Amino acid sequence: MTTHCWRRLPKPVLALAAFAVLLFSGRAHAENWPGWRGADRTGVSDELGLPVAWSEDQGVLWKTALPGSGISNPIVWDDRVFVTSSDGRDQDELHLICLSRDDGGEQWHLRLWGSAPTLYHPTKSNMASPSPVTDGEHVFAFFGSGDVVCADFGGGLVWQRSLANEYGAFENRFAASSSPLLYHDLLLLQCDHYGPSYLLALDKRTGANRWKSDRPDVWLSWSSPQLMPPAPQRDAVAQPPAGGKRSRAATEKTVVAADRAEEELLVCGSHRLDAYNPSTGEKLWTVGGMSRECVPTPVFGHGLIFATTGPNGQTICIRPGGRGDVSASHVVWSNIRGTPFVPSPILVGDYLYLVDDKGVGTCLDATNGRMVWRKRLGGAFTASPVAGDGKLYFCDETGKTTVIEAETKKYRELARNQLDEPIFASPAISQRRLFVRTSGHLYCIGAAP
Amino acid sequence: MKSFAVLAIAITIGALHKAVALPARGEEGTPRGFADEKTGNEKTGDDVAQAIAVIARIGPQAESSREARQARDRLAQRGPDVIPKLLDAMDTTNVVAANWYRTAYDEIVASELSRPQPRLPIEALRAYAADSDRQGRVRRSVVRLLDRLEPGFAAAFVPTRLDDPEFRSDAVEAALAVGSEAEASGDRDEAIDQFRRAFEHARDAEQVTQAAAKLTALGEQADITAHLGLVTDWYVLGPFDASAYSGFAAVFPPEERIDLHANYTGKEGKAIGWSRHAASDALGQLNLVQCIAPVKEAVGYAYSELHAPREMEAQLRCGADDNCTVWLNGERVFGREQWLNGTRFDRFVVPVRLREGNNRLLVKVCQGPQHKDPEVANNWSLQLRFCDATGVGVGLVSALPATAKEASP
Repeated sequence: MTTHCWRRLPKPVLALAAFAVLLFSGRAHAENWPGWRGADRTGVSDELGLPVAWSEDQGVLWKTALPGSGISNPIVWDDRVFVTSSDGRDQDELHLICLSRDDGGEQWHLRLWGSAPTLYHPTKSNMASPSPVTDGEHVFAFFGSGDVVCADFGGGLVWQRSLANEYGAFENRFAASSSPLLYHDLLLLQCDHYGPSYLLALDKRTGANRWKSDRPDVWLSWSSPQLMPPAPQRDAVAQPPAGGKRSRAATEKTVVAADRAEEELLVCGSHRLDAYNPSTGEKLWTVGGMSRECVPTPVFGHGLIFATTGPNGQTICIRPGGRGDVSASHVVWSNIRGTPFVPSPILVGDYLYLVDDKGVGTCLDATNGRMVWRKRLGGAFTASPVAGDGKLYFCDETGKTTVIEAETKKYRELARNQLDEPIFASPAISQRRLFVRTSGHLYCIGAAP
Repeated sequence: MKSFAVLAIAITIGALHKAVALPARGEEGTPRGFADEKTGNEKTGDDVAQAIAVIARIGPQAESSREARQARDRLAQRGPDVIPKLLDAMDTTNVVAANWYRTAYDEIVASELSRPQPRLPIEALRAYAADSDRQGRVRRSVVRLLDRLEPGFAAAFVPTRLDDPEFRSDAVEAALAVGSEAEASGDRDEAIDQFRRAFEHARDAEQVTQAAAKLTALGEQADITAHLGLVTDWYVLGPFDASAYSGFAAVFPPEERIDLHANYTGKEGKAIGWSRHAASDALGQLNLVQCIAPVKEAVGYAYSELHAPREMEAQLRCGADDNCTVWLNGERVFGREQWLNGTRFDRFVVPVRLREGNNRLLVKVCQGPQHKDPEVANNWSLQLRFCDATGVGVGLVSALPATAKEASP
């Protein structure tokens, strides 16, 4: 009877043992990257020891060729890496692939036909633009052809739906790119297109509808929904510690919004940002001032929302909460400088970083929206930046990643790392590694385990 | 180069012949499943049929997915014997069901390909690939498998499929490539022959344009307008005033009566009348900014008359910037309110019935406000054609009167 013998130990001894485990094991667990832009969809990781410099010949742990193309970001869960892609004459051959984190070897490969492929961009977007998402047991993929797929970790199909067949084919000139979001047992999808647009919540176990909220007055959007944590709370954005030390000033800011006890589902498109109740699909509030066509995903931190749309649009800082049109009451600041059309913003500490499609980076003071610096970061951009370990990573379409120091008032470049192929997908950070998807390969970059 | 085509055709005919002449039951290479059923193993057949039927019933909202998964697992366990049945089952318009079958099919095929001697029904696969009545997506997967089993299969098969709905564009691409090689090697006749074949069989606008350009460069004729059935001859009227996005719902006189010699009060009180214009590009795009004026928040009309050699079913394919509404012989056959669109080729496809003789065609095209970004051009244009289901023109010719005064209301 060796099992459960720990139950006979006194509680103080157990607590001491647990503390010792935490103390001597370093981090309690390595962080996964379970969906679009990571765990909270902000592009920021808590990981330490991330790589700074690499090239085709240096720092690449493995490199695996991918079929077709896609700009979905890879996702990572423990020892598995999942990627989606599409190919074929109409990009209607869909792929959901599981690779080994350790060597990039293919574990399984689910091939599916897309039900209604749309027009797509030759390089920047196709049926595999939305990133998949996982809860650690299942992986969920949404494709621009209007198909939603759930597979188990062994590669078995659990359920599939054709939203195109059920609610009408998507009409999209660059293919849908909105990444699904997991909220408790719901899989949330933003389906804004030329035809009838809607938000949809599926039961992640069965694929059945839990709610559907029509959006009759909107049209095309490529933005992904975001989940704003409830208030009051401490700053929800992971703050990558600079040099291993967490920024006390940044993390201690708290903004209380007493009218917001629940999460809010943020959806950008058609000149506005809307907030919905993620449990019911009920529309809560709206803020105007966004572009007609929105691509970037909003981020949050310090109890505030930061949304950007361009080109020639603006970045808006919004205080969440309220009901109805809160444009006049909840916009904290706005700034027209440096707004991107495609790449999403990233918030690290008190700084909000943008990179526009032409490669010019802009750093704004998140507390007041004032510009801190502007700098050319590289060539054209589609990928959104990611951050961790006090560093920011900007991947451009030439295959170059510019690494800069985060949370500094002055621009400080740490490295420029060139790979052989263009990068359109946003990278993933997990387990001290960077997963970079180029036009033809997935790279795992980092220190050898 | 001719020898290549002849060889390719010969190989394909051979493949088709083999496909038609399936080996007798029990011969070497015959899938075991065929033999099982014919020897009376009805239980096996029933189980397969039942599993296939379970998946076929999969409904909206992923209903019955659990049952489908169990059925799929049973099918995958059957091994290569069940492949012909799976191929039959995958031949469905229900993509969700087809994908469930496909996961079983892929698992079986992958397992067999890992063997030194894969047990796969080659002849049945060949027959399936050649059957253009089957679902194209499944046939394409089968061709990929055959190409893996018999390297070179696709290169021989595809160029002969010029009339195949699934492989037509691949075959046209092959013909264009062969023509270019012939041209480069100085074989002008062969080049013309290949480019002509490509042009006549092409349905994709880009391929049609490409083949036409090749022919024209060699001094040959290629009528893109007739081939695609583009409507290029129009009377145009506008601009009518329509503030903001009001134009789509607003009704102006041409919607009530066509009178090509009438004058109307247009935007800013100016007198407007019908004027004749030809499409401004090779694919039939009518630029209303040029034909009417570079205005915003307005409505324009385009009118044509087309002679059909007989009564027929056809497809009206159109696109417009910002949006269009179409009346054919006085009946509204299409209208879609959208703004800030590009005029994309074949964006909308509408089944219509054409009369023998003259057919009257009226199109309303709205122009919305200036894009928020002043750098975004405020295009105003229309593209429209009549074709069959494959995309080739149905032989209409313009019957517009030479002058507006000759037109009948």
